Amino acid sequence: MSRILIEMKGICKEFPGVKAVQDGLFSLEEGEIHSLIGENGAGKSTLMKVLYGMYVPEEGSIAVKGETYPSLTPKQAIGLGIGMVHQEFMLVREMTVLENIILGFEPRRGGRIDRRAALEKIEYYADTYGLRVHPDKKVEEISVGEAQRVEIIKTLYRGAEILVLDEPTAVLTPQEAEQLFCILRSMKEGGKSIVFISHKLQEVLAISDRITVMRGGKHIATVAGSSTSAPELARLMVGREVFLGGSPVPAAKGDVALSVENIFVPGEKELSKLRGVSFSVRKGEILGIAGVNGNGQSELAEAIAGLRQVQRGRVVLGGAEVQNMPPRRIREHGLSHIPEDRNQRGLDRFSDVKENLAACSVSEPPLSSLGVIRWGKVREFAEGLIRSYDIRPAGADIEASGLSGGNAQKVVVAREVSRKAEVLLASQPTRGVDIGSIETIRNELNRAKEAGAAVVLISSDLEEILSLSDRIAVMFEGRITGEVDSSEADEEKLGLLMTGGGTHV
Amino acid sequence: MDGLNEILSLVFNATLVRSTIRAATPILYATLACVLTQQANILNIGIEGIMIFAAFAAVTTSYFAGSWVLGLLAAIITGVVVAAFMAFAHLKAKADIFVVGMGVNMLAIAMTRFLLQRTFGVSGSFHHNDIVPMPRLNFDFGGNALLDTLFNDYSLFEPVGIVLVFVLAFILYKTVWGLRLRSVGLNPLAAETAGINVTFRKFEVMLYSGVLGGIAGAHLSLGYSRMFVENMTNGRGFMGVAAMFFGGANPFWGWIGCLIFGFADSLGSRLQSLGLPSQFILMIPYVVTVVVLTLAMMRKKRAETARKSAI
Ligand SMILES: Nc1ncnc2c1ncn2[C@@H]1O[C@H](COP(=O)(O)OP(=O)(O)OP(=O)(O)O)[C@@H](O)[C@H]1O
Ligand SMILES: [Mg+2]
Repeated sequence: MSRILIEMKGICKEFPGVKAVQDGLFSLEEGEIHSLIGENGAGKSTLMKVLYGMYVPEEGSIAVKGETYPSLTPKQAIGLGIGMVHQEFMLVREMTVLENIILGFEPRRGGRIDRRAALEKIEYYADTYGLRVHPDKKVEEISVGEAQRVEIIKTLYRGAEILVLDEPTAVLTPQEAEQLFCILRSMKEGGKSIVFISHKLQEVLAISDRITVMRGGKHIATVAGSSTSAPELARLMVGREVFLGGSPVPAAKGDVALSVENIFVPGEKELSKLRGVSFSVRKGEILGIAGVNGNGQSELAEAIAGLRQVQRGRVVLGGAEVQNMPPRRIREHGLSHIPEDRNQRGLDRFSDVKENLAACSVSEPPLSSLGVIRWGKVREFAEGLIRSYDIRPAGADIEASGLSGGNAQKVVVAREVSRKAEVLLASQPTRGVDIGSIETIRNELNRAKEAGAAVVLISSDLEEILSLSDRIAVMFEGRITGEVDSSEADEEKLGLLMTGGGTHV
Repeated sequence: MDGLNEILSLVFNATLVRSTIRAATPILYATLACVLTQQANILNIGIEGIMIFAAFAAVTTSYFAGSWVLGLLAAIITGVVVAAFMAFAHLKAKADIFVVGMGVNMLAIAMTRFLLQRTFGVSGSFHHNDIVPMPRLNFDFGGNALLDTLFNDYSLFEPVGIVLVFVLAFILYKTVWGLRLRSVGLNPLAAETAGINVTFRKFEVMLYSGVLGGIAGAHLSLGYSRMFVENMTNGRGFMGVAAMFFGGANPFWGWIGCLIFGFADSLGSRLQSLGLPSQFILMIPYVVTVVVLTLAMMRKKRAETARKSAI
């Protein structure tokens, strides 16, 4: 093909106790979309952060446009035309979109910011690549999809010709992801070169010219996008055959464990985001709640878990009314909750893994007695979970902020599922998780169900909903627009309900 | 009824405006110093100590050199040196800024007491006719009593402080430098990925806060008064921190906080002259500090609940 822009060779990067990247290898050609895939913790983000100059590698060389460097700084990387959209967005929430985009590269008149010049430039990129943003809104007021477009404009604005996108689709709805692909294709046509990190193999296959697979910090293979298949990629990533999909496992159903009766719940901007939602779940079944993100699923989960006020209606858990109780009391009534945002609600990033794993059971024996924590037992308990959920690296004392996205999620799942509560409320449990771990997490949900738990599964991944749920409820604009049995459901039917078409079935 | 009116007019009159500004100014400089560092996410609790050191340097230099300009300069240099030490300990040696700040505060009280003994052979306080104070600003309003009380006889750095509020606000919110500084405080990773040197920025604003702290000290000993007294800041640095919190690190709101403190202070001294118990009066600034901080925290809390779960 054409000229080679980037050539990374023999890259090694260690963190205390972890070899994140060993002998890393990566190259990028001009005008290609090159995907980088691998399990959680495989070292994808680390390798790309080395390229962007955020980490200094212990060994290896980085060649950019023929010039070789032992390491870079972000400033140098930007100067060489490299831009990165990080897995965790690098935006200042309190500042406006415009301020975020120009930060560090402000057009000025005197010492002042030249707003007009900035706006013109932003509009140019917005128009050229179809990146719609609101320059004067604060970042905390915009949607995740828009935040991502802001990140992309930011890199373009800084003159990037090489774009690294770290799991850009993990937080997007399918529609937003489709938009993103259009943007990426038009950028490719405009001569940009793109590194795309993702766990979703279908996406990767659809968009990539080449695909590089990493496992355990090492380079495994680089293949052409046209000559490979999802099963082959999965095998390369995980090192064994992976089985996803399938259909719900049968299990004996018991009594109703959780029922939500006609609840009204306020949202961030609307007075009632949920308007009259009702459903119930029995022991031994999984109720899937499908829908395009933002139709009230987050508010529903928060309302059940006691994190958001219920204005009208009842939530009955194990025979008791629990609406508007504090979260802890609701948990005592038999709820386990995997929150959708692991960084804000699922984990304490500054505590270590064992503290996070023990957080829900530390107040009871055997982990503590008479209010005194027995750290030996806590460690034993945590190490047991780390082993059975294959959390990597397997250290009970690692700070949670040092875990890769997928392993952080496994910590949350392990803590919540292991409590064996009567009701398990799982919000987007496999978001940003690699396929090996998706398999683990889905198996755990099935196992919880077989053990007699009532499971509510909220997910924007239709395939996930279809392969796990016994019954499926679809949410649209704060209401449940339909409930179907899994035997009658297919993507088409659900898709119709998700967009408000076809009222009750 | 008449008696009450008389008391009220004794307490609330044009001179109250003056004395409020007068009492607020030393706090204002401390506030602005804290606003600057807070924008880079450094809680400059050591501003109290910086002010004490600077006040001592100002008095000593003014006394020996016979010049308030040199006194001011010495105060600023002292402030910068102390701030540089704090910045070094915090940014390079990774010490907790709160611990460093409290250390500086205690050191300042003890060391100025010691130096006061050594240099002037006095303890408690030092005043002397050779201390050259800062100049006062006087205009001719043709004898208009109201204008005279409102606009005359300010010490130089009282109006300068008010101008600084506007200058600082402009710098923070309108200039490139300010944008970058705020990004350092709000999301250091975002700043770093934009190619901004976060540590360098933090060091830089610590030095500037040393300059402001130096002015605060010099104004206290050469403008607000004309002497040095042990622990003469008497919590004004801490009130500066409180006013900064009250204002959410915004210079304007911080200034409002300072005016509340200044108002409480001057109201207190009037009430004292009316015969209220002095213990009660002495309590007022601290009660106001607690109230102001509570208000500030409530505001912050409300802002936070309003924006949870955005991204
Ligand atoms: N700042 C850090 N401190 C300590 N360890 C880290 C840090 N960043 C990453 N690691 C470790 O390095 C390894 C590689 O992490 P990395 O984030 O590169 O994985 P990844 O392939 O991007 O995974 P994911 O798909 O989950 O995002 C992991 O074991 C992780 O725990
Ligand atoms: Mg990653």
